[in-house]
Amino acid sequence: MVLEEKVEFDNSKLNKWKKWALKGDMGVKGYRIVEGAYGSRVDKIEKRRYMVVERPHGVVYQHSYGLLSRFYEGLLNKKLYGTKCPKCKLVYLPPRVHCWNPKCKLEETEWIEMPLEGEIVTYTIMAFAATPFLKDLPFILTYVKIGNSCTAVPLQLREVNPLNVHVGLKVKVKFVDKPKGDLMDIYVVPAEKPKPPKRSKEEEERLKKDLKIVEEWVKKHFPKEQ
Amino acid sequence: MKIAVVGAGMTRFDRPRRELQEELVAQAFKNMMEDLPELDIKKDISAAFYSYFSDHLEQQLCMHWIIHDYLGLSSKPAYRVESGGATPIDAIINAYTFIRAGLFDLVLVAGWEKMGELDTAKVNEFIAMASDTDWDYPVGGYYSGYYATMEVRRMHLYGDTEEDLAKVSVKNHNNATYNPYAHWRAKNGTKKITVGDVLNSRLISYPYRIMNVAEVSDGAAALLLASEKVAKKFTDTPVWITGIGLGTDSMRPGDRTGNPAWVGLYPEDEAVWPEAETKPLSPYPEMANFGSFRVAADSAYKMAGIRNPLKELDFAELFNPYDGVEISAYEDLRFCKRGEGKKLVREGTTERWGELPTQLSGGLYGQGHPVGATTIGQAVTIFWQLREEIPKKWGSRNAQMQNPKRALLQGHGGTGTQAGVIIFER
Ligand SMILES: [Zn+2]
Repeated sequence: MVLEEKVEFDNSKLNKWKKWALKGDMGVKGYRIVEGAYGSRVDKIEKRRYMVVERPHGVVYQHSYGLLSRFYEGLLNKKLYGTKCPKCKLVYLPPRVHCWNPKCKLEETEWIEMPLEGEIVTYTIMAFAATPFLKDLPFILTYVKIGNSCTAVPLQLREVNPLNVHVGLKVKVKFVDKPKGDLMDIYVVPAEKPKPPKRSKEEEERLKKDLKIVEEWVKKHFPKEQ
Repeated sequence: MKIAVVGAGMTRFDRPRRELQEELVAQAFKNMMEDLPELDIKKDISAAFYSYFSDHLEQQLCMHWIIHDYLGLSSKPAYRVESGGATPIDAIINAYTFIRAGLFDLVLVAGWEKMGELDTAKVNEFIAMASDTDWDYPVGGYYSGYYATMEVRRMHLYGDTEEDLAKVSVKNHNNATYNPYAHWRAKNGTKKITVGDVLNSRLISYPYRIMNVAEVSDGAAALLLASEKVAKKFTDTPVWITGIGLGTDSMRPGDRTGNPAWVGLYPEDEAVWPEAETKPLSPYPEMANFGSFRVAADSAYKMAGIRNPLKELDFAELFNPYDGVEISAYEDLRFCKRGEGKKLVREGTTERWGELPTQLSGGLYGQGHPVGATTIGQAVTIFWQLREEIPKKWGSRNAQMQNPKRALLQGHGGTGTQAGVIIFER
């Protein structure tokens, strides 16, 4: 029984995702004849003709979030939930429905609402990424300990100069305007003035140059997003 | 019971390789058989274990069924091992275990990957499906992101620097220039690189640059493992496997700050912690180290009777998809204390002329990283080094170590989620 839905893919209707998935049915759509190498050693190779076919393959999964659905439904309502073990009192975000403390023998945890604040455990400045994220480069990926969770959750950090990000930075959790039910519904922003990590002049100049290259690359490839 | 490697071969790692996967494996298999004139495929081989990482990259499920009959092995027991980047080391360990259990005498281990049929961004997306797709994956970091955050943690806690990472990269790339099976050499020839080249290469995920990061490669590699009983039938100079070990850590790196399963396992390492930093629930391995390597290594060392790996190993091949992993591995494999990996880099300990050279093959960006073949390809390098066959196999006298006796092979998958270690001796 469906209690509520907001889907783009519906088995009963030929909407755009269904068409997209059909278009992606695995099958040969074209070919190319190319010249390529043959042989085990770099210094001993021969030329051969190869036929290369184009073979698309698209899929749509109907993925259940299982007993963690409570967390994701929380995101839709702009609330952040973690879990707490009634036995050992450890708090988990990412939530665990069963406590992983070996002493607790998979005790079922309890849902708790988490504070919207945390601390950066570590981070990176992403300067290249997979296709859906290329337009957002450069962005900051962090692992954040929210509230008194013993574990850290991966989130994007925004509204900060990448050069100033540091381990230990206190952050606030924010929700996007239109949550869709995944971890990108939340992100973090600084809750204090960052204390930039110590870098040599040379390192700093290099990093600035790197970021400029990325920004120009994005401008060139995704002009509409600007 | 002793288990031997009696044969090893590979075909160059490169991209794109236009041959089919079975044709690549056939090349590796034939390369191996050059030294096995007595081998009767039908009579002698008792079983095969196959290693490939991704059904998505290959666009084929059960590809090992294709490979198995292609090699003429139909009817013989076989199965595929699958555990992300740890797949090839696990396949070797599977073969070892079956022989040791007395079930088989001569076992083929073959690995391959073709990653060149998709563009790099899509390849990264498919590889990232080995991370938790509900938690780590949606945020867009993928492995280059996860590993970079772990290295930033090391920079913060221990003071690893970008220059340390660049030095590791230079060492490994330059090692690869001697290796005619190496992807780096196929692409760039034999010219040497410098720290400046690395530091000026394109940033991928701070602190990692394109030259700190594993190659996306196509290729195949093969090993032949034998029981002590039959080993001498095939070669007078077998390489013995004297230790194996497996280890694991959490799926998600972020969970490693608070994992009760680790608390108290390594008190000496837990004690290494900067005073100014809050100590997490599980201080070792935390996000800064690879605990799975430690567990795997300790069991392999125990089996091989190794007490001081730095002194007792002659060289090592490590699974270094990113350069910081190699520095951490020095610590987790007990070449040095926790947090001191950078010293080994700065002192040149792991250079080809150093006390314990690492990545003589070139490692994952030097030799290349066709996932299912990667660690088997590194084992091939170990096999040829220990038999002092590098002058013949690589056409390079300079790349051969003088009288090496014992080597370590380490592999892993995920962000060190699963790891294996094997000790080889001649
Ligand atoms: Zn508990």
